[in-house]
Amino acid sequence: MNRFHILLPLALLAGLVSIVVGVSVGVDLGRGEVLRVLGHHLSFGAWWTPEATADRIVWQLRMPRVLLALLVGGGLSIIGAGMQTLVRNPLAEPYILGISSGASAGASLFYLGFLPPLISKALSMPMAAFLGGLMAISIVYVVARTRGPRLSVARLLLAGVAMAALMASITSFITLSSPDPDKLRVVLFWLLGSLHTATWSALPLPAIVTLAGLFAMLVLARPLDAMLMGDEPAANLGVPVEVIKRILILLAALVTGVLVAVSGAIGFVGLIIPHAVRSIVGVTHRRLLPVCFVAGALFLLWADLVARALLPSEQLPVGIITAICGVPFFLFLLRRNQYGYG
Amino acid sequence: MRPITDDIGRHLEVPETIIRIVTFAPSATELVYAAGAGHKLVGVTTVDDYPPEIEALPRFDALPLDFEAILALEPDLAIASEQVNNPNDAATLTSLGVPVYFLAVHTLQGLPETIRRAGLLLATEAAAGRMADSLEHSMQALRTVTAGSLSRPKTLFLIGDEVLYAFGKGSYIHDLIALAGGESLSASFSNRAPILSGEYVLLARPDVIVGAFGEDYDPARLLRIHPTWDLVPAVRHGRVYGLDGHLYLRPGPRLVEGAWRLAAQLHPSLFRQTP
Repeated sequence: MNRFHILLPLALLAGLVSIVVGVSVGVDLGRGEVLRVLGHHLSFGAWWTPEATADRIVWQLRMPRVLLALLVGGGLSIIGAGMQTLVRNPLAEPYILGISSGASAGASLFYLGFLPPLISKALSMPMAAFLGGLMAISIVYVVARTRGPRLSVARLLLAGVAMAALMASITSFITLSSPDPDKLRVVLFWLLGSLHTATWSALPLPAIVTLAGLFAMLVLARPLDAMLMGDEPAANLGVPVEVIKRILILLAALVTGVLVAVSGAIGFVGLIIPHAVRSIVGVTHRRLLPVCFVAGALFLLWADLVARALLPSEQLPVGIITAICGVPFFLFLLRRNQYGYG
Repeated sequence: MRPITDDIGRHLEVPETIIRIVTFAPSATELVYAAGAGHKLVGVTTVDDYPPEIEALPRFDALPLDFEAILALEPDLAIASEQVNNPNDAATLTSLGVPVYFLAVHTLQGLPETIRRAGLLLATEAAAGRMADSLEHSMQALRTVTAGSLSRPKTLFLIGDEVLYAFGKGSYIHDLIALAGGESLSASFSNRAPILSGEYVLLARPDVIVGAFGEDYDPARLLRIHPTWDLVPAVRHGRVYGLDGHLYLRPGPRLVEGAWRLAAQLHPSLFRQTP
């Protein structure tokens, strides 16, 4: 309890510091220029007039990218936590259950022109990704259902891994059969997971969806806690288990779909962060979810920071960094910590 | 059989007389034609589209190489491009009895020499020599023209507009830009195919941005994708040009034509004066 109350303000402070560091890393802009840009915008243009190019770089390129990193990292982490509760197994994650791959397949189908734009281009790609993710997880879920309302965890994970492989093949097939080499290069880069497309105007959709997802899961925190004990004990406590499972799946597809559409498939965040956080604050969702969100957000921000610091004038997909930094850390945690569900 | 060494230092044995050849990349096809040995081609890849004489030739898949289709053409020699093809594929083909010769064009200045060497290999020295001389004259003429300009616009050559692929260190494209009277910005990247960040472009302030986006490219698209670039001199002064990628991305004889076309974009005033 105490740990949690200290941790959250600390995390928020770390967030602020990380944002400032986040907009400072990249090509060299000269001493103090970054702070001048920040001061200029935080005082609503009243003080300090920064050099125009530095202003573009810090405020129009880096700031949205940093905020997008926070949203994507936080969103993927809470969805990971939710999926792990859904199947009561620590292996669950959007990537492993096939949601990310399904969303990638949907988004690339749209991007390469195999699907017609339904509403506007800005909404169609997240829509295609959402539907792809929803289709993948629905099939996995149906396959994993045994007679009666219970889920077979082994089947769920196996079906998820198989579905991820199938969706990845579909993505590769449509990518390689695309007649346009330029689009092909774009998709191949995007599939590795990158935040370089971030702009202010592209932020509201992922922000709304991710924060709504967090809010919805916090509302469901108590039933989710009950579900950790198993379906029957939860049902005995009056929790509408099946309804909640469907809501979770829908939320997972929605949040993952929207995030994949903006940043590609960034793996491991949803797997690593909930584990690390559970070992610190325990499994109660009311604490787990907010801390997961902040921790995941910071993790991805720092991963992207590493990517930008390594090659300041170039683009290194952040998905590569999350895997390289995240997996050894995860293995270390697995070896060191133990915790139970429920 | 005679032992020779190809452009990337591989040792191979080729027949005394080479009558049937296949090429594994469009640039290799163009180099074979430039060397005057186009009539010896018996097959090209499905992505080849130049020169028009290849229309009637049998085709095979290039990525990955369709070994069966290649063997069915019974070539004496296959010609590959260092830029595109994989030496491991060459090893497979050599073991199947088809020697593979790799052509490499690392600098624009080295292009005529590459064509002469290809002519020597394919026993068409005279024709290859004529083409090499003509390319050398053309480059010299262009150098004389662009030397008349005092400005050397900082030029950024892009391969993609969304994901900013560019040419890094050691590419012929920097020679081409220098010959056309510009200064290539991405020459300092140690990575051979860097993906540039948007902030790099803002800070590097290119005077001209050219891309292998096709000649019908709409420059407004670049600003739509990168709205922060309105400060970049090239964008502000309307000096964003789409070029025909085939003239620049294939290290072959048409690079020289590409250099002339680029020079006309970099120094329009010089080319208005010349008749």
